[in-house]
Amino acid sequence: MSGPVDLREFVSGFLVEAEELLQSANANLLAVDASVKNGESNPRAVRELFRSLHTIKGLAAMVEVEPIVAIAHGMEAVLRAADRAGGRLQLAAIEQLLAGSKAIELRVRALADGRPVAAAPARLVEALAALEAPASPAGPSAGATLALEPELRAKLTDSEREQLAAGIGRGKRALRVDFIPSPARVAEGLTITTVRERVAALAEIVKVLPVSLPRNEDTAGGLMFTLLLLTTATDEAITVAAAAAPVDLVPKGAAAVRAVATDAGSPDDPSAERDPLWDELDELDELDRRRGGVVRVGVERLDDAMEKLSALIVTRFRFGRAIAALAAQGADVRALRQIEGEHRRQVRDLRTSILQLRMISTRELLEPIPLLVRGLQVATGKAVRLSIDAGRGELDKAVAERIFPAIVHLIRNAVDHGIEAKEARLRAGKPEEGLLTITCFARSSTHLELSVSDDGGGIDREAVARRAGREVPRSDAALLDLIALPGLSTRDKATTTSGRGLGVDIVKRIAEELGGELFLRASQEASESTSPATSPATSQRTSPATSPATSPATSQRTSPATSPATSQRASPATSQRTGTTFTLRIPLTVTIVDAFSFECGGQVFVVPVALVEEIIEVDRTKVVTGPRRGDRTQQAALIERRGEFVPLLALDELFTLPHGGSANKALVVRRNGEPFAFAVDRMLGQQEVVLRPLEDPLVKVTGVCGVTDLGDGQPTLVVDLLALSSTLSGRPARQGMEVAA
Amino acid sequence: MKEILVVDDSKVMREMIVACLRAHDGLAFTHAASGLEAIEKLSLQAFDLVVLDLNMPDIGGVEVVEFVRAQDKLKTLPILIVTTRGDEASRTRVLAAGASRFMTKPFTPDAILGEVLGLLDEPSNVGDAGPGP
Repeated sequence: MSGPVDLREFVSGFLVEAEELLQSANANLLAVDASVKNGESNPRAVRELFRSLHTIKGLAAMVEVEPIVAIAHGMEAVLRAADRAGGRLQLAAIEQLLAGSKAIELRVRALADGRPVAAAPARLVEALAALEAPASPAGPSAGATLALEPELRAKLTDSEREQLAAGIGRGKRALRVDFIPSPARVAEGLTITTVRERVAALAEIVKVLPVSLPRNEDTAGGLMFTLLLLTTATDEAITVAAAAAPVDLVPKGAAAVRAVATDAGSPDDPSAERDPLWDELDELDELDRRRGGVVRVGVERLDDAMEKLSALIVTRFRFGRAIAALAAQGADVRALRQIEGEHRRQVRDLRTSILQLRMISTRELLEPIPLLVRGLQVATGKAVRLSIDAGRGELDKAVAERIFPAIVHLIRNAVDHGIEAKEARLRAGKPEEGLLTITCFARSSTHLELSVSDDGGGIDREAVARRAGREVPRSDAALLDLIALPGLSTRDKATTTSGRGLGVDIVKRIAEELGGELFLRASQEASESTSPATSPATSQRTSPATSPATSPATSQRTSPATSPATSQRASPATSQRTGTTFTLRIPLTVTIVDAFSFECGGQVFVVPVALVEEIIEVDRTKVVTGPRRGDRTQQAALIERRGEFVPLLALDELFTLPHGGSANKALVVRRNGEPFAFAVDRMLGQQEVVLRPLEDPLVKVTGVCGVTDLGDGQPTLVVDLLALSSTLSGRPARQGMEVAA
Repeated sequence: MKEILVVDDSKVMREMIVACLRAHDGLAFTHAASGLEAIEKLSLQAFDLVVLDLNMPDIGGVEVVEFVRAQDKLKTLPILIVTTRGDEASRTRVLAAGASRFMTKPFTPDAILGEVLGLLDEPSNVGDAGPGP
């Protein structure tokens, strides 16, 4: 027996799964919300919602986070009742469930940050408990009309029958596919799990039923799975996915049967017309299904994989050296070299794959936005239609995590300050409902652009100028500079949603820290037909499940960099303004390293922690000065370190900086096994920095591997001490030591 | 070596269960992330015991038990139901369907290991309410 098991060690696993479950819960809540507003039930979303909450509750109980157990329990009870009522939920229940989901999220986050987890909000738990069970659906069940064996039909719940009926009512075909598992099929990778996944890409799976079969050669397991589906896909496509042909559950031409099913599916809605909302919901379903094959892992696991890969690379170097040593002894190493070359390529590919794992889709990045906007609508009382085109891009999770708060900030500003109140909009001759458009697309192989546009009143240039005590800005760039002044606000009262002021300075900072940029396109006059926020092309969709294709019109519209003409044209006149567009241009990947910051020659630099073997005190009494090194002006100095002499180099001299100070610290690095010490004036601290490569070849300097921003808005150079040490005369350090000895 | 099939749609929950049981030598574990996967594995491979969650997509634990008990060769397979508080109502149903034991999350490592070892030792593992011969 090994030591006792502490289940609290699984908290990190819990956090990852809880985040995933909450995200799915929120997506399903929004789907249910849309259905309820359309007078429909959504049994599938309710069932999945129930399962998510139930799983969160069970996991939270195992890792002993009682407040989450209590909230999830309250939500689960409401959803259980709704499931039994055929997936029907009241609007009031949705509000409480959203509040519950938020409450759980806050507690998950607290747990992740190591903060104490607040008790379950009593009022919320009471409100959940007080929600009345919705009325059960009336009318006959559509199941009776399906061509299905009675014993299988009996296994369908009311809500599953309703789901089938509603699907048929929406014009989908109800199909049945049988899959028989066998050891041979398992060997081919064909299992119920893979078949289910493949079918789910083409169809809504209502139910999968296991059916016993007499055992024979073809049915080694004595088992068959019957999948009941709703789909618009062709029989051929389903046959390929399921490795079996489908059979219609509703015989073809049975129009009467279909009508019965429709009525049973939506007793509250006598209209047989298909609401366009269904298209969007179908699209959501489609996206939901595509999520099927996704596995989430914590970033720390990826970092761990990367670290192990580094170890592998070190081993490869050793391998290379061993081969070289063999070759030096006269051995035939051609075969070994070939293997080494192959190995090198494989390691490189593995590195690329691991880096790929860190990428998340832009769709995933924007997933929480609909919920955020919904909350902002409630908080501000404004009506906002949201149009998201997330595109097909991918970006590093580290970038996504850093840029997301900036996106949230822009959206809050747009709803809070941009879009006017209903009355003001009507007065201005605009539709009552404001439009918020978010588009995201890859600008190049290295950057993506994300735009947040509103069709609101725009930014009042004169008011901004007055407040800042500056001249009225004539271009958008100048206006952006003004509103990005720290602390500038055009509002006198802080609002609860976006706090005081615009906070554009924060957004700009975040973008710049990542090596990106923030652009503004503001205040087009109403007469301009090209105004971004009023372009009809963007106002088609209201769900996040939009077509990923980005129209050329969109790319032009959201590219402030390529449209200087428009920025110039912007007029400071107080004519009616329609809308503001903020565009973030951000890199797809960043390198984040742990770094030491230090001062040398009056400047601040950083150096990656991983490069530094040791930081030592420079005791001048232990420094030995050797002869001048060839044509170099710098004298070779050596410092004694644990009985060994290490070349001591003054970094300020290497960078031809003025002597800044005491140079009483030194950073020791090791190159090819030889130590070098670089004297610096003062160590400042250690922090995570975003490393940005120097792209301009003209500013490339040996010993500088990039720039970063330490939070002061100034670029700070990242020094590469290894590269510096390699350029120091052709003479290896060992000779210096001999001189000293 | 006794083969245990651990069925739960939550990966971290499966890991927790395995961590609790691994304390005992002589147990080997296979994971199944859904009721469907469990049924497929049970039909193609022999196991000595199943640890089964109730609330899973497509088909839940009760349906898995019902299906398993309808198979001649699986009639006596020990099935330990491990489920979340709130599913107590399912207790009667799943025991009636033929599950051997029922325990509620949260459980302690000792509790689940005790149940599993107890079930593995029993000569006949079918619950009282299971289908008779």
